[in-house]
Amino acid sequence: MTNFDAPETPGGRSRTRVVVGHLTLALLGLACVFPIYWLYATSLRRPNDVYEVSPLPWPLSVDSYRTAIDEVDVLRLLLNTTVVAVLTALGQLLTSLLAAYAFAAWNFPLKRVLYLAFVGSWLVPFQVAMLPNYVLLHQLGLLNTLSGVIVPNIVSGLGVLLLRQHLDSFPKELLEAARMDGRSSWSTLWMVVVPNLRAALAALGILLLVNAWNEYFWPALVLQRHNDVLQLGIRSFMSATEGDDWGPLTATAGLACLPIFIIYLLLQRHVVSGFVRSGLR
Amino acid sequence: MSRITVENVTRRYGDVRAVDGVSLDVAHGDFLVLLGPSGCGKSTLLRMIAGLVSPSDGRVLVDGNDVTEAPARDRDLAMVFQSYALYPHLTVERNIGFPLRARKQRKADIRRRVAEVADILDLGALLDRRPRALSGGQRQRVALGRALVRDPGAFLMDEPLSNLDAQLRTATRTEITELHRRLGRTFVYVTHDQVEAMTMATSVAVLNRGRLEQLGTPTEVYDTPASAFVAGFLGSPPMNLLDAEIVSRDGRLHAVAEGVDVPLGLDHPSHEGEQVRRPAILGVRPEHLSLRPAADAGPAPEAGGVPNGSAPNGSAPNGGAPNGGAPAATLRGSVRSIENLGSEEIAHCRVGAAEVAVRARRPAGFTVGEAVVLTVRPEHTHLFDRESGRRLVWQPDRDPQVPAARVPVAT
Ligand SMILES: Nc1ncnc2c1ncn2[C@@H]1O[C@H](COP(=O)(O)OP(=O)(O)OP(=O)(O)O)[C@@H](O)[C@H]1O
Ligand SMILES: [Mg+2]
Repeated sequence: MTNFDAPETPGGRSRTRVVVGHLTLALLGLACVFPIYWLYATSLRRPNDVYEVSPLPWPLSVDSYRTAIDEVDVLRLLLNTTVVAVLTALGQLLTSLLAAYAFAAWNFPLKRVLYLAFVGSWLVPFQVAMLPNYVLLHQLGLLNTLSGVIVPNIVSGLGVLLLRQHLDSFPKELLEAARMDGRSSWSTLWMVVVPNLRAALAALGILLLVNAWNEYFWPALVLQRHNDVLQLGIRSFMSATEGDDWGPLTATAGLACLPIFIIYLLLQRHVVSGFVRSGLR
Repeated sequence: MSRITVENVTRRYGDVRAVDGVSLDVAHGDFLVLLGPSGCGKSTLLRMIAGLVSPSDGRVLVDGNDVTEAPARDRDLAMVFQSYALYPHLTVERNIGFPLRARKQRKADIRRRVAEVADILDLGALLDRRPRALSGGQRQRVALGRALVRDPGAFLMDEPLSNLDAQLRTATRTEITELHRRLGRTFVYVTHDQVEAMTMATSVAVLNRGRLEQLGTPTEVYDTPASAFVAGFLGSPPMNLLDAEIVSRDGRLHAVAEGVDVPLGLDHPSHEGEQVRRPAILGVRPEHLSLRPAADAGPAPEAGGVPNGSAPNGSAPNGGAPNGGAPAATLRGSVRSIENLGSEEIAHCRVGAAEVAVRARRPAGFTVGEAVVLTVRPEHTHLFDRESGRRLVWQPDRDPQVPAARVPVAT
């Protein structure tokens, strides 16, 4: 729905296009928001009302939240999840930054091959790497530990790819100026590159954090014995015999979403600008 | 305190030789301008001196020490980039102080030194601003400040004025010249603007396709260009270059072409009417030509001038001779167009198949299509070898027994 031609046809045609465009967007928006709304609506109904289909949950009740907190240690899970997500995202950010800087600032033998290997690792489906990683964790004795969840995910091919795009458009003369001014490559990275890449780093950081936060399968595999992270805590309200306990389930899920919402609201500007603009200027 | 020596330096990028066997010696306190058209390797040469690019061959010396392998920061050189390369996240004050902080100097010293430099460059009021909030000229001065603050042995500048408008460029040009005089440091300055080269340099190195065409003072480079390339690059409009032949006639050497007969003022004692023929390029600066209507001169060409293409018959090489005594160098042609530059006019004339520009006072009073005669004093003509493009100089014959040696030879 681009409207580049709007000024040329100020009459009805472009007007209808705008209206149709906005309607479509509004519908798409609703479709996106609805499941989330329903999640919270359900979690706020009284336990007996969870199967109601009235659009407004009334009367409100926080019973489901109480049950959830009683049955699983939500606070501990929240903390664990945060630790896992933050450490994973930070690790990925750091490794991506170092790799992307190397790719952008130097020429070295096998550069292309190495870069393709990084990108390739992103294209390899998770399921392919899953078993070798699992075996390795077993041999290292890291199964059923949070480290076991974090360590194999410390490098992100996607992160390297995205940051390299940003760094490639980073003015080379700035790097050269820093070199003339007496900075080493290492201090140039921290004194010149990182401060000017804050928007991109913030955007990528959020992306990686959300990814790590939403990870379900890998933690489920590594943490078989305990449900140590929130996403697995949700599991305990599902059971084949008694059916799913929707109230506490939606309440836990709702709580699990909250931190991400808050981060997004706080850093929204960075997320958008980081992906829209690339580089400086 | 820096003398910069470049010895036979070459830089290859794949098959391209960006810089090809260049040797230069920049004495302490010199202002060397690297001049040449786009892509001739000026920036690459400067970067090799700076230590940002390593040469494929050859050596770079600073004060006699081989620094070819030394990192940029150990060379005691500062650089001003074309884009200024100011750190966008730092204020002007921190931008200027950056090189000092990188060298771990004391905070108080840094502040004092930055204030000094800001004072020199009149940046005092802008110290708290970010580069984004500065005008082009101010950014340029901050970039200068960042180079000045360290008091380096030499300054390297890569087209520092190319992003400024004409007025500011003239003003900054004067400022930089003034700075050079005051600091007494060595400057190596890259530009493709010949006005900058002529006005600022103590010596000019003209580069073409990675090779050094000529190294000399601005006057030398302009008055005695070492090659047809230099002649055709300097001046605006540049020197007129015409394909001609050197022949000997009546014991004198002439450069002749269609519509052109230039006595070179050199004796060549005739041996049985023998004619020396040598292909060459004749060069004449537009300001050394004077225009007059064809009717005044010698045999009048038929009917009011022949505009384009076919040359007037009357101007065949031998036709210009009857002027008798003072040998006047003449070019015959017709006016194609006239450019008014305000203070003067440039008349573009067609002479034979070539286009010749003439600088004339206003109003020159010529009309397009008019047949004209252009005259030039023989000492204001230049000759270049057709093949190599090098300047031809007359070498008096050391052995008068061998007359064949009496042709101009290439340097
Ligand atoms: N990193 C590079 N890789 C490949 N070729 C290069 C590289 N840098 C420069 N060149 C080539 O070397 C030649 C000289 O480039 P250089 O930048 O020195 O020219 P320049 O004289 O500074 O031109 P300009 O006036 O346009 O800045 C050009 O043909 C250019 O394409
Ligand atoms: Mg350049």
